[in-house]
Amino acid sequence: MKLSKNLDENFSLLKKALVSDDITFLDLEIAKSKGVLVFINDLVNKDTLGELVLRPANSFKGKLSEKTFFSAFLSPEKKKILNLGELISDLLLGNAILIVDGISFGLSFGLKHFEKRAITEPPTSTVIKGPREGFVESLSVNVSMMRRKLKSTNLIFENLTIGEYSATTVSVCYIKGIASKKLVEKVKEQIKKIKIDAVLDSSYISKFLNQHRFSLFKQIGNTEKPDILAGKILEGRVAIFVDGSPIALTVPYLLIEDFQSASDYYNSSYSATVSRYIRVISVALALFLPALFVSAELFHLQLIPLSFLMTIVNSIKGIPLSPSYEMFFTLLIFEILNEASVRMPKYVGMVVSIVGGLVLGETAVNAGIISAPTLMIVALSGICLYTVPELEQTFSILRIVFLLIAGTLGIYGLMIAVALLVVYLTSFESYGSPLCAPFSPLIIEDNKDGLYKGFIQEFEFRPKSLNNKNKRRIKKGEL
Amino acid sequence: MKQLKTRQVCFFLIAFLPITKFFSLPSIIASHANEDLWISALLCLVLDFITLIPIVIACRNANKNFFELLEDCLGRAGAKIVAVFYLIFFFVKTILPINEQKDYIEFTLYTLKPTVIYFLPLFLLAFYICFKKLRVFGRLSDIFWMVTLNGFIALIALSIPNADFSAVLPIGARGFSNVIKGSFRAFNWFNDCVFIMFFIGNFDYDKKAGLKIFLSFALGAVMVVVFMITFYAIFSSIAFRQRFALTEMSKYTTVISNLGRFDYIGIFMILFSNVFALCLPFYFSSKLLKYIFNINRLWVAPTITVLSQLFIVLFLYEFSVTFERVITNYFSFYFILLGNILPIILSIIFIRRTKYAIKKG
Repeated sequence: MKLSKNLDENFSLLKKALVSDDITFLDLEIAKSKGVLVFINDLVNKDTLGELVLRPANSFKGKLSEKTFFSAFLSPEKKKILNLGELISDLLLGNAILIVDGISFGLSFGLKHFEKRAITEPPTSTVIKGPREGFVESLSVNVSMMRRKLKSTNLIFENLTIGEYSATTVSVCYIKGIASKKLVEKVKEQIKKIKIDAVLDSSYISKFLNQHRFSLFKQIGNTEKPDILAGKILEGRVAIFVDGSPIALTVPYLLIEDFQSASDYYNSSYSATVSRYIRVISVALALFLPALFVSAELFHLQLIPLSFLMTIVNSIKGIPLSPSYEMFFTLLIFEILNEASVRMPKYVGMVVSIVGGLVLGETAVNAGIISAPTLMIVALSGICLYTVPELEQTFSILRIVFLLIAGTLGIYGLMIAVALLVVYLTSFESYGSPLCAPFSPLIIEDNKDGLYKGFIQEFEFRPKSLNNKNKRRIKKGEL
Repeated sequence: MKQLKTRQVCFFLIAFLPITKFFSLPSIIASHANEDLWISALLCLVLDFITLIPIVIACRNANKNFFELLEDCLGRAGAKIVAVFYLIFFFVKTILPINEQKDYIEFTLYTLKPTVIYFLPLFLLAFYICFKKLRVFGRLSDIFWMVTLNGFIALIALSIPNADFSAVLPIGARGFSNVIKGSFRAFNWFNDCVFIMFFIGNFDYDKKAGLKIFLSFALGAVMVVVFMITFYAIFSSIAFRQRFALTEMSKYTTVISNLGRFDYIGIFMILFSNVFALCLPFYFSSKLLKYIFNINRLWVAPTITVLSQLFIVLFLYEFSVTFERVITNYFSFYFILLGNILPIILSIIFIRRTKYAIKKG
């Protein structure tokens, strides 16, 4: 509905629509014309409101017309509001709106002000060397962090509003000329399709962006660090920011991304390569060690060296549970402790680790409920999984599934389960990019940042695994 | 864009084709050709190589896939008849390797609790793969050529300390007829070029693709021959009794070591690649079934293919050795006809057809 020139008419409509107590209607006068300033109490910076709106309004001299009304205020962030719907949505964003009798439009002043968390190092990706800043919940702060990283006019942010009640700003970020237009359009189209009451975090958006709804695997990348995000969009990915969330999403997502750490790019290539192999080996150990141990104990004793077999036999003597039950319950206890340690207050965290790790574990072994090798394997498997924290949730479920399969079908069953997983993963695509690239399909050039971490001079081209434009990263002759 | 790359076809030849020959085949050939078992295997490989040449040439300019080319050359009815032949071919070709795998699993891996249940998940994998596009084999090849090659190297490296290579000498001591007999009994495990025939029109033919494919085939062939020689060099006169060569060859080096049987790492690598190799005939049977009967529903062809094969495995549970004898003794000509002669003829027809089409513009 269009705003009318009659203030009373506009005012009564606004009063009807905005009934909440935290909305302030401030009567004022500009050049003898009556006006109303509308704003949400705690969202507006009142000092700036006084300086940029109230003072100019008070001191306005001359005849008030539609032309002079707009130019009377010096606020750098002002815009004309022509209809009621626009007025309300602008108000809810935290802007102050001024409507005056005799003027057919309102003025919106960008005076948003709310408490923000300080920029800190994200707990999920700490580094020894390298930038320590992480995204915060404020979209504008996150955008400014990106702008500081990439001072290019080709860095584009396209804003969309999602959520019937939350009206959350979702910003699609990419580099024009590097990201594929098709990909950008596809992402925007997917986001526009979202019809939900509220978007409270970026994870809401990621669920809607997933192309395989029931998949156990992550399909959308995410990061809390501007340097990582800048690196990703420079490779041709599209990022999605959600106001209120410190986690930026990225598409397409490749599985290898989670094995790459920010520190890989700030340390020497050799140590980064070694660290990467350690992560891969750790994940393999975490996933398969409990299952392999149980299947060897139950079905394939020939796989265990004789001296080790003797140790196992001695340690499992008198254990009331079968190897698979024993491993399953120990893993279950580990998962319970893990879940409890995340949820409980920090000051009791230490107590839990002592009670859970030392008292419970040692007592269970001494009491003959579980065997020492089982406890050791679960502990090792649990620690190993945290070398790649992003995949922890998926892999902890897979670990239990593999354990159950190995306990019932043995090593061949486990092999078939892994084969099924391999087929699934190799045929999986995330926004046109194969999830397992650059290994399957094999892209030799991209393995400079896959199989090993090459020197920066080797990254002459952007990854072929991603559908990007402007392939060259380092100018010819600069090597 | 085509589903496969030349690189993937090359890796396919290395990853999946040699490994099916590492299980009971060495002992079967050895029972006829003894120390000349590798010559028997080589003869089969040479025949396969001869078959591969026209197939690769046919791939060069092919813009249509195998079924489209068949229809172009033989008409729809003719194409369907050929498809029926190949459906039966793949069906029979699957039986022995599947039974062999079942026996292998039961006798070597599950020494304590032999039961068919442990083996059944393979059919689940085959069923799942049947839903996928041909691209999946390309992507699997990209990973598994390394797995196969490393497994093979590990196995041979651990077997060599116990091998007496003088056992395979003098070459040709058993006479030509025994060598030919050995080859004849082995045809079920070869004829792998048929798979490549189904790749026609489905892969990007790079520059020098032919040479790369031939070299990859040669590498696979070398692996088979080396395996046969090493196998006989270890077991010599008792080789024909060693039905599960893969597990037996390297055990003497590792079994008394402090680390135990770590050669199982290599064995499992080969076994892992082999589960995919076993799914290949299932996959093509399912596609052929879909083509022959114009099946539109996604799950029908894979279900029929897998269930029928499963039924045969269960049916032959007690008679697998007898059935193996029947197939190796009486089906050799059938395998040569459909695995070598017909692919050569079809490829030549395809080449002529494509040339004619190019000429006509």
